[in-house]
Amino acid sequence: MKALVLSVLLLFSCNAFAAVGCDLNDPDRDVKRFFPSSTGYKTDYLSISKEGGAPLLKEVEAVLGDSFQGTYETIDVPYTVYTVFEGKEISGYIHGINQKGKFGGLQVFLIFTPEGGVRNFYYQKLTSKFAKDLRSEEFANQFKGLALSDFSDYDPKTGEGGSEKVKAVKFPSSDDSTDFLATLRAVKKNMILMDIFVFQRRNEK
Amino acid sequence: MSTLIEADNLEKIYRRGNEDVNALNGISFRIEKGEIVTIVGPSGSGKTTLVNILGCLDNPTRGKLTLDGEAIFKDGLELTESELTEIRRKYFGYIFQKFFLIPTLTVRENILLPSVFQKRFKANDKYLQDVLELLGIEKRGDFLPKEISGGELQRVAIARALINNPKILIADEPTGNLDSKRSEEIKELLLELNKINGLSIILVTHNPELAKIGSKTLTILDGKLSRQG
Amino acid sequence: MNIMQVAGKNLRRRKVRTAFTIIGIALSSWVLVTLLGFNKGYEASLNKDIDDMGFQIVLTAKGCPYEAATLMLKGGTGLRYMEEDVVKSVYEAGEVDEVTPMLMHAEFDPNKGENGGTTVYLGIDPATYPHMKPYNQFAQGDWFKSGEKEKEVVLGYEAAELEQREAGDTFLIGEDEYLVTGVLKRSGTQDDGMIFLPLSTAQSVFDKSGKITMLGIKLDKDADIPAFEEELYKLPDVQVVSMAQVKNTIMSLVTSAKVIVMSIVVIAFAIAMFGVLNTVLMSVFERYQEIGILKSMGAMPFDIFKMVLFETTILCGIGGIIGVSFAILISGASEFAIRYFIPFAPTGGLIQISTNLAVISVAAIIAIGLLGGIYPALRAAAIRPLSAIRSEE
Repeated sequence: MKALVLSVLLLFSCNAFAAVGCDLNDPDRDVKRFFPSSTGYKTDYLSISKEGGAPLLKEVEAVLGDSFQGTYETIDVPYTVYTVFEGKEISGYIHGINQKGKFGGLQVFLIFTPEGGVRNFYYQKLTSKFAKDLRSEEFANQFKGLALSDFSDYDPKTGEGGSEKVKAVKFPSSDDSTDFLATLRAVKKNMILMDIFVFQRRNEK
Repeated sequence: MSTLIEADNLEKIYRRGNEDVNALNGISFRIEKGEIVTIVGPSGSGKTTLVNILGCLDNPTRGKLTLDGEAIFKDGLELTESELTEIRRKYFGYIFQKFFLIPTLTVRENILLPSVFQKRFKANDKYLQDVLELLGIEKRGDFLPKEISGGELQRVAIARALINNPKILIADEPTGNLDSKRSEEIKELLLELNKINGLSIILVTHNPELAKIGSKTLTILDGKLSRQG
Repeated sequence: MNIMQVAGKNLRRRKVRTAFTIIGIALSSWVLVTLLGFNKGYEASLNKDIDDMGFQIVLTAKGCPYEAATLMLKGGTGLRYMEEDVVKSVYEAGEVDEVTPMLMHAEFDPNKGENGGTTVYLGIDPATYPHMKPYNQFAQGDWFKSGEKEKEVVLGYEAAELEQREAGDTFLIGEDEYLVTGVLKRSGTQDDGMIFLPLSTAQSVFDKSGKITMLGIKLDKDADIPAFEEELYKLPDVQVVSMAQVKNTIMSLVTSAKVIVMSIVVIAFAIAMFGVLNTVLMSVFERYQEIGILKSMGAMPFDIFKMVLFETTILCGIGGIIGVSFAILISGASEFAIRYFIPFAPTGGLIQISTNLAVISVAAIIAIGLLGGIYPALRAAAIRPLSAIRSEE
């Protein structure tokens, strides 16, 4: 009891802002949901600071076409990559990132094929005036089949560029596209990070 | 001359182991004011015991001692340390074979030490200067004891004994640690003090030369006064 | 020249020994003052932490979940309400320092992500809540800018993280946009996940006007918490959630820490005292003859007693002042060390050395030194000039 009380007291003094990651709410359930025939998964915690530091951050920002912003998008944000197995074979990956939206946070998850293509898209969490439209199946389906190469000349600041497939992704409601643009930025960033953390590295091996 | 000290049948018995030792065995004599009295005798004869009782450093076992008409020791009554101190303050200055100067105090401070404990004799600077000059150590005032010679050390000890203007100077082997030249100087000094200040001096010595300065010599043998003259 | 000066000069005779004695006393006083400072600081810090816990008692309607976690488990349901005028009744129960009404509200939004999500809101009184929870510090911004009825929110640390909100951002409650005025630092409490808004705003937006779910009660410092709780139970349909146990635990910790610290203090005192006793006694023995001569010169036993005690006073005074200054100088480092070695240290200054404490410590060291000096001084005072002079023959 004493220890408990004091540890609570102690916690009062930990004030620093720590970078926040983005995990699956219920990994066992969520993995099974997207990979019904999976036999297991492994969890890796990766960050830009650990994988390559400031030079890597620059690289990511260059590819993204935007710089990291705000209190929560920092070099030391931990990213959780779930590698899903069926037997010994990798059947895919799940990776989510936090993205600042206009009214709140967006947790944008992508489910990848072993080759790096997008198999599925969903918001684990979303605060937006347009939440109802954004979380619709139609909206999510537009991301299926996209690859990083589709975003190579996509500018997340303006929403210009991108392959035809990217251009085809439409925001169902139109008044305020801030959260839509934020979502596309999150998708591109998610893919860049996965490319660095998983796909490039796998090719190097 | 009037009587300064009157000793009547002084006895001192020490207890040594299971035995009583009669250090003084009924000694009687008188000392007049302004006299130099030397006490001589072989070692262990009782002369230091006698001088300690005369100097009120110790109580006699029996007998009477009168100082300047004041009865100090009466039969059987032992004085406390504080009472003895009061009497010492009033009458005596002491010098010993060893100088017992405090090494961390300067010559001047050593000399003034008695006045630290006796507020009524507040030695003024002039008096101190006079004493320093009288003893020929006026240039040594700011020196530490380790910085001056043996003869000078004893002069400092004498100055310290004189600073409170005592009636009687008790000197127990004052030249015991000095060579003959320095001894001669001390001898001259004691004579001068006696002559100029009329200071009564009781001198215990083995030194026959020094013993000569006494106007009276008390020879002690086995705790008794064997000769007086 | 006086006896004190003679005593001072006596100490210069054996400089090394005097120095070591002073160092010993200084170390003891350092330990002493640091521990006493720690005792004071530790208690003050813990008291502050208790104070920072804000209210010691939370009053809720009977059966109402009072923790956000419970509320979430219940899917945001089960809240029960009290009328706002319960505040008056609580004040009448006496010994109340301050109260703060709160309205907790949980809202499930099916569009909040794939499976929807529950958000817990806490309507608070901007006039009382902030200073009753003084540990709530801001990472960004501040409490509501315009007070009552405004569409402003303050986010707990984790809530802000989750919503990626910073001060100045917009936040959505239902369809309404709110201004984020501040983001709290992590507090390790349920406040971290909370979204705060002004009570009156909460009452109107959640349609609960005149209702509250909880009343935080802070009692006077010396209030009898259990007795007060009994009083509260007389109110109809309320339950009392008390932090008294936490406070009692902390207080018993303080008491045991005090016992340990005071035992070490006693040891430090004993070391100082015997150190002084030893040094002074040695120097008295060394000066046996000299003291005898001083007595032959007219020094009374009490003069010698005083002289020796002066020496002790000087030793302890210098040692004490050095030790206390040292303690003050390195209290930062000592605190760091204590924090390093003690697993659970409260926040705030752990070592508090006030001028008062410094003066008292020096006085205590001198007093304890004098106690140690009494025996040698008595021995010195009892030296008989005759035996002292004889001892050289």
